[in-house]
Amino acid sequence: MDFELSPLQRERYAGINAAVAERFAEHETCTDPELVRLAWKDAASIGLTGMCLPEEHGGAGLGALDTALGLEAFGRSCSDMGLVFGVAAHLLSCAVPVWEFGTDAARELLAGMAAGDVIAGNAMTEDEAGSDVGRIRTTAKGSGDAYVLEGEKSFVSNAPIADVFVTYAVTDPAAGFLGISAFAVPRELDGVVVGPPLPKMGLNGCLAARVRFEDCVVPARYRLGAEGSGGAIFQHSMAWERGCLFAGYLGLMERQLAECVGRTTRRRQFGRKIAGFQAVSHRIARMRQRLESARLLLYRACWLLDQGRTDVGAIAMAKTAVSEAAVANSLDAMQLFGASGYLADAGIEEQLRDCLPTTVFSGTTEIQLELIAREAGL
Amino acid sequence: MTLDEVTPRIRTFIAESFLDGDPKGELTESTPLLEWEVLNSMNSALLLNFLREELRVEVPLASINAANFRDITSISKLVSGLTAVPAEGA
Repeated sequence: MDFELSPLQRERYAGINAAVAERFAEHETCTDPELVRLAWKDAASIGLTGMCLPEEHGGAGLGALDTALGLEAFGRSCSDMGLVFGVAAHLLSCAVPVWEFGTDAARELLAGMAAGDVIAGNAMTEDEAGSDVGRIRTTAKGSGDAYVLEGEKSFVSNAPIADVFVTYAVTDPAAGFLGISAFAVPRELDGVVVGPPLPKMGLNGCLAARVRFEDCVVPARYRLGAEGSGGAIFQHSMAWERGCLFAGYLGLMERQLAECVGRTTRRRQFGRKIAGFQAVSHRIARMRQRLESARLLLYRACWLLDQGRTDVGAIAMAKTAVSEAAVANSLDAMQLFGASGYLADAGIEEQLRDCLPTTVFSGTTEIQLELIAREAGL
Repeated sequence: MTLDEVTPRIRTFIAESFLDGDPKGELTESTPLLEWEVLNSMNSALLLNFLREELRVEVPLASINAANFRDITSISKLVSGLTAVPAEGA
């Protein structure tokens, strides 16, 4: 057992961290689609939009753990977590399945995706199908060389600026979860209707919208994998997302912890630094403990992915640990910053708003705990 | 592993994990697991984990489809077939 990152991993992390810090020094969370696209180009210039894609498709060919380290560095030095989330979701839940399961025609999208020119959104969630994805109602009816998509997705991250949607639709209603097929649907196709940006509590740098498919004819060459393999493809992409995407939140927690240490060692009350009060120092100790334990679980889950093992329990434990630590640490940070933390300028309230959805997206904490418990034999 | 070895282990796992032990003994080898939603997204993930950890069978993603997971018989045939494949380099 070796808990040390290799010299190359440390060097790569430091390089991305420095590049993000420089490129995003003046960046603030923005919701203007044009500005968001420009931010994506900055992220792409550092290689963040294609890290785990093969070099032949414009990526860096990194494995899961190295991709997680890259996203951790992104979250460490970029305060716009919506951008971090959007880029990670594009890469992990969209580009990865197109690369691993796409036809040659679908894979032609990858160079643009790696370069940040083609932005992708993952279109699975529907009004009546959240955790239970087998309940989706969007259908894809085959007619020769094409499918006709009909249905509506209720929450598609990146949708307002997306150029392609990795879309899941029922092709065999009798086969339940394994009757779902996956498609890479170019936005330019007739019948793709993207709604206005959805007002959200946080992650505002990641625009989201409803997406409707109205009699939308999708060429069969854009199907990912075999017909009926969409459920398995989705689970595979979620393993990547639950592992690597949440590394961005390790970065956020690292940054937040440093801010809290700085704040409590500078701030003086009753004639001494507030860090000198045990109630304060122990709060910071617990924040650090949560961060480090979550980090170990996430690194291990990603390492297992790199060994070709999609360990449901390990991924669920990592996802739960990181998301719950992110929420708890953000509440602690708010307390440590006092009234100033409640004001927008300090950035602490934005961190809290950005962390709260982590226990919901990519599989709720409740579902992750169910998986962990049942895998334990309950 | 032979079909005779695999089938009862898969049947027991499904009965105990997804059907509260199947107290009425309704689960058969031809019970349509997908159609009756015994195998939903969560249970499929747990079943694949069981196959990997307990039976030491890694099911390739391309083999995770309705034909192979329709019922206990089809799953057992798949698993038995995968265990019969010689390891790389053997």
